[in-house]
Amino acid sequence: MSEKLPLQTSRRTLLKTAGCGFGYFALAGLLGSATQKAMASDLSNAANPLAPKRPHFTPRAKRIIFLYMEGAMSTLDTFEYKAVLQNSAGKSGPGGGTLTPSKFQFKQYGNTGTWFSELMPNIGTHADDLCFLRSLYTDTPAHPQAVVQLHTGSANAALTRPSMGAWLLYGLGTDNQDLPGFITINPTIDFGGAVNYGSAFLPAYYQGTPISDEGFMPNIEPAAPKGLQRQQLDLIQDMNRSLAASDGAPDAVDGVIKSYELGFRMQDTVPALLDISKEPQKVLDAYGVKPGPEGSFARQCLMARRLNEAGVRFVEIRQPGWDHHTNLHRGMIDQCRRIDQPTAALLTDLKQRGLLEDTLVMFGSEFSRLPTSEGTDGRDHNITGYSMFLTGAGVKKGFNYGSTDDIGMKAIEHRMHVNDLHATLLALMGLDHEQLTYRYAGRNFRLTDVAGVVQNEIFA
Amino acid sequence: MALERVVRRAGWVALFGVCGMLSAISLWPKGMSVAMAAGAEAPPTPTPAQVDFFEKRIRPLLVDHCYDCHSATTKQSGGLRLDDRDALLAGGKDGPAVVPGDPENSMLMQRVLEKDDIKRRMPKGEDDPLSPEEISDLRAWIKQGVFWPVEKSDYVPPPSPSKAALRLAAYPRPATPEQLSYFEKNVRPIFVNRCYNCHSDAFKEAGGLRVDFGASFFSGGKDGPVVVPGHPEKSLMIEKVKESDSKKRMPQESPALPETEIAIFETWIKDGAAWPDETEKTPATPAHIAANYVKLRANHWAWKPLSDPAVPQVSNGKWPSTDVDRLLLAKLEEKKLAPVEDADPVTLIRRLTFDLTGLPPTPSAVKAFQKDHSAKAYAQLVDRLLASPQYGERWGRHWLDVARYAESTGPSRNIPFPNAWRYRDYVIDAVNRDIPYDRFIQEQIAGDLLPTKVPAERDRLITATGFLALGPKDVNQRFSARYKMDNVNDQIDTVTRSTLAMTVSCARCHDHKYDPIPTADYYAMAGIFASTTDASGLKSGMGGASLDYYTPKLLAYLSDAKAPTVSKDEIEKLKAETADAKKAFDAIKDTAEGTALDSEGKPVQDRVEKKYNRLNENLMLISDLGEQGYGIHSMRDGVAADTSVRIRGIEERHGPTVPRGFLSVVQVPDAPKIPGTHSGRLELAQWITNPSNPLTARVYVNRVWQHLFGVGIVSTVDDFGSRGEPPSNPELLDFLARDFMRNGWSTKKLIRELVLSHAYRLGSTVPGGYRDVDPANRLVWRHSPRRLEAEEIRDSILLSSGRLNLDHPAGSPSMKVRMIEIQDDGPVAHSLLAAADRSTYRSIYLPLLRGETPRSLAAFNPVLQTLVTGRRDATTVATQALFMLNSPFVSEQSFYLADRLLSEKGRGNRDRIREAYELVLSRDPSPQESHKIRSFLSSYESSYKKAHPSASGAAKLTRVTDTTADITAGVVRADDEADVPKPSKQEPAQPKNPKQAAWASFVQSLYASAEFEFVR
Repeated sequence: MSEKLPLQTSRRTLLKTAGCGFGYFALAGLLGSATQKAMASDLSNAANPLAPKRPHFTPRAKRIIFLYMEGAMSTLDTFEYKAVLQNSAGKSGPGGGTLTPSKFQFKQYGNTGTWFSELMPNIGTHADDLCFLRSLYTDTPAHPQAVVQLHTGSANAALTRPSMGAWLLYGLGTDNQDLPGFITINPTIDFGGAVNYGSAFLPAYYQGTPISDEGFMPNIEPAAPKGLQRQQLDLIQDMNRSLAASDGAPDAVDGVIKSYELGFRMQDTVPALLDISKEPQKVLDAYGVKPGPEGSFARQCLMARRLNEAGVRFVEIRQPGWDHHTNLHRGMIDQCRRIDQPTAALLTDLKQRGLLEDTLVMFGSEFSRLPTSEGTDGRDHNITGYSMFLTGAGVKKGFNYGSTDDIGMKAIEHRMHVNDLHATLLALMGLDHEQLTYRYAGRNFRLTDVAGVVQNEIFA
Repeated sequence: MALERVVRRAGWVALFGVCGMLSAISLWPKGMSVAMAAGAEAPPTPTPAQVDFFEKRIRPLLVDHCYDCHSATTKQSGGLRLDDRDALLAGGKDGPAVVPGDPENSMLMQRVLEKDDIKRRMPKGEDDPLSPEEISDLRAWIKQGVFWPVEKSDYVPPPSPSKAALRLAAYPRPATPEQLSYFEKNVRPIFVNRCYNCHSDAFKEAGGLRVDFGASFFSGGKDGPVVVPGHPEKSLMIEKVKESDSKKRMPQESPALPETEIAIFETWIKDGAAWPDETEKTPATPAHIAANYVKLRANHWAWKPLSDPAVPQVSNGKWPSTDVDRLLLAKLEEKKLAPVEDADPVTLIRRLTFDLTGLPPTPSAVKAFQKDHSAKAYAQLVDRLLASPQYGERWGRHWLDVARYAESTGPSRNIPFPNAWRYRDYVIDAVNRDIPYDRFIQEQIAGDLLPTKVPAERDRLITATGFLALGPKDVNQRFSARYKMDNVNDQIDTVTRSTLAMTVSCARCHDHKYDPIPTADYYAMAGIFASTTDASGLKSGMGGASLDYYTPKLLAYLSDAKAPTVSKDEIEKLKAETADAKKAFDAIKDTAEGTALDSEGKPVQDRVEKKYNRLNENLMLISDLGEQGYGIHSMRDGVAADTSVRIRGIEERHGPTVPRGFLSVVQVPDAPKIPGTHSGRLELAQWITNPSNPLTARVYVNRVWQHLFGVGIVSTVDDFGSRGEPPSNPELLDFLARDFMRNGWSTKKLIRELVLSHAYRLGSTVPGGYRDVDPANRLVWRHSPRRLEAEEIRDSILLSSGRLNLDHPAGSPSMKVRMIEIQDDGPVAHSLLAAADRSTYRSIYLPLLRGETPRSLAAFNPVLQTLVTGRRDATTVATQALFMLNSPFVSEQSFYLADRLLSEKGRGNRDRIREAYELVLSRDPSPQESHKIRSFLSSYESSYKKAHPSASGAAKLTRVTDTTADITAGVVRADDEADVPKPSKQEPAQPKNPKQAAWASFVQSLYASAEFEFVR
């Protein structure tokens, strides 16, 4: 599927360029005759770019929640247990440096006997549901490029590419037309910032909607009481309808009319969804919701569940602060305290509500950290081998895919580049990464650039 | 030995930095120089031979050995500058540096010849004295009167390679198969096992050194070459692995290398340091692509020379006003279409005023035009608008879209360009002055290489090269070579797509798949930009914070830059404080105390580090020219050299070297040759703007056409390649291109010609059946309505509310910000967005950092500032409705407009409603509309009273826009300097009383109406 630039060369493209809203466009005002109406139904996707679109093949998952650990969590200290490393303290590491085992105690969880350190006792209880990708690698051991590559497929930060959420909306549209299809809570503020949820050269309606970890979204609060604003909106729509009826009116006026109605409705729906205060106390406690930075991730997890349940195609939440060049020991304890309970609670909640049936959850960082030491209490970046885990729709449970060497340094088996990860995610969502293209600046672009191999061994 | 390398390397870097600045420096106003004040004799005019001698022998010597300490942009040690004859004669603290004609009594010679006290010998800090040859050159120069060329600014000598560079071992290296086999079997494994974590592709280039490919290894690191083939005892690498201090020893943080491995290194170096030749062949162009190239070169319309189309005969001889009309009508008649009725005068003046100035016409202008809309009155209107300063602000913005202009580096680490606004102003000024387009392009690509004697003009021309310098930059790129080539790619992409509508950057990795642009063409052009120093003020590096990326040597400076006068005491005091802070940080860093968390949950050491950074930054702030706002983000010539093809665009895979040059697809018969001594940017600019280059004029007139008619004659304005759309009217395109050049590349003449055509003045009605023949109106049978751009929406709301300030502000709010990384959601970003909220200047003057779009522009598809964007999106989304209904900006301006309407007492509501329509929509309301609005007002007012029984006068109105404040007021200079509250739920502005509430609601409805958003 490829969408051409809006060139206004045909009625079809005219309709496309007028696409509106979190997706709605009325054709009735434009198309009079019966034949044209028949044509309109064929064009429904072109007219409403965010309407659900037919995937390339049967999808295994319909929605994604991405729990993003920004800064590169040390997986060697959490869920990547390496017995050899644990016995190699002080030895010279490959490529230089001194091997340093994790100082945390590991134990096995579930029937699969999956290892977790003492930092993740709650996530450990989900061990048998998780699908570990244990041989990931990426191109750049610097956060700014690696973060942008994880989110957009390309490490070349200077040529901005669309983010994976934007690609998903472009390829699949979204189910709930009253909500943004791609929401990013507490998004990355450096390391590319808005690029990580932008649409770049894809049309702007595919970009992510940023929301703070307090649930704030600009301009969503009505400027006047609802009844008064309705009165005002009626006047606006009256003016718009007379314009639409005039000869030679701009084609997009009908889209404008619909976009106002949608915006008006969103003033109710969006804040209500993001308001977690009305959740039962036991839910709040299960997630560990509290005010301030300490409870940020817990709040995000709960908002993510609510948005997912409401049909939002792609939700990303973020916990920053994993860049432990120093202060690894204390830092990991603090960070894991903030994410372990909420993550586990989210998985439990999704499962209980049946949402894991069609939701894929992804947990991980832009890369990981070396088995060698940096200073007295730190680890430097490692892009040659690291892990993430998936769970939920479409992936095997209690499964390990690929592995790193004995000390957790380098991916050796089923090596999986970040482009392969994207290809696989798209495949789980029913999209062929080679067909999902957009033409810009003289060439077809893809999320996976010119690479990417679907790793279908992880499919359930 | 190591010290020597460091010093030489430093000299090498300084040389890059300084020589390009000569131009600016040497044109400092003479009146200011001390020498003239002291009554020194006028300099003799040097003979051509003397000029030659000076440029070849003396200037390089001064640059190489003296400027690190004695130039306007460096230290001016001892109060002495050697970058200007007058300054040289005036001398420093100890008196004149030279006595013309008397070398032996010149202090400069005495200090250079000093034998006894090495500490006094100049150049200070260099191990070796000047060579006898250099000394004899200096002596001859002084003897002959210290001649200095008058036109010195126009000659920038190519920097000579440094001594360190000359000592580099050649690569590829001569090697026997046995030597290579020894290398692969014994040496390379040591590199892989012991060194890769810090010196290779998957990790970093610590100390600027990589050991994973030959071309980089043999070019050495920051301290120069690491091997001297044949001499392990002279090789830095061996010195480093044998180092006894374990903190300095390589590999770092590791056990020492075993003796056996060191011995292998030594044997290998002794035996000549063999390394396989990794230079690759360029992959052959695939046959089907090569065949396609041949076809396209011959047939594709865009690369053919301009035709000279005859103006066609048309049946309806009455309709056309101009030849443009005849060319359009001929095509319409072929399709049996006729142009629709003309637009009414009100629609026409609104369209024209928006198109030419980005603003609506004033109600009085509309009235006057309604009274007299004769051809003469229309032409006068056109001329008045073209002459208004607002024209440059509108059409300058169009160019800034194409130039991907922004005030920060953007993705990766977002570092502000605090002086980018100078380029913005350059563009506005050039457009208003109607600088011929060919000259405009030459200035932006090679302004620094164009001759001028006037300092202000020199500054203007250097500023113009901001076009190349202000691109998105990945300063965090850990490999300096990749950083450089990524910037080169941005420059190639920007230049070729903006001026030629060619996607040349596709050929960075492979032969262009659709257009005949082989990879060799790309690298021919890359050589030009790689021979250019990017003087945007930044260097790349991995990690880094605070001022780490800021590089004053990589900026140009205004002619009137003046070093701040700071007392020695002040500097010493600050230095001492900084040293103390550093000590405190070093003491606490990574200790238990340092990593303990403070009350905010952050490690205690963070605050200590911050304090040190701040003091360090302040030290820079008081003494640095760039920090005083004199810097210009620009380009200057660097070391002129051809570059090699990179296989698949990968920096580490080198192919054959290609001579610098231009695209082969376009034949320009009298194309200039690129001289060996210069980058070739000037020649590239001349090649682009050569009248025989068929693309440049075509691409430009097409852009102008699009801005006036909605869609380009070629609708893909940035792509004239085989994948772009063909022109809807090729004859018209070529006619306009020729006419444009004939008219001296004047944009104003072109616009005038187009808006005076009959076609431009058409109405927008749609006759039955026309859309079946030409759905997108490509043949121009009517005028297509267009959505206003984000800037037009904001500016016209402010104009109608009475708040728009039409002055040109001095600078930008961002000029206060330092070249330190900012966060998306941090204090600097918030303070700039707040400054944008407050501003009542036109939108082009708002702070425009990449990723920090002003809130009042964000909803309506502002331009993506990372790539050339010739055409803006105009999507319709619900966030636009929410912006119009709920944003503080629109709410506030609605209150202002309501107050404006209500302020005149004794006027009837009918008059007020009419005024509101005139101000916002440029037209009178119909009686029915007026009636509807009156009933809306009364019903809204009564609903409001019901909803707010006790509201009258109680609520307060929060005002954001501020017409009085300094544009930089409240702007935070760096993220760690202050906290700025993040935007959160705001109390919406509340009206004073039910009446104001109703009127504000009404005028807001006008702003929110589709009629306001679209101009017909």
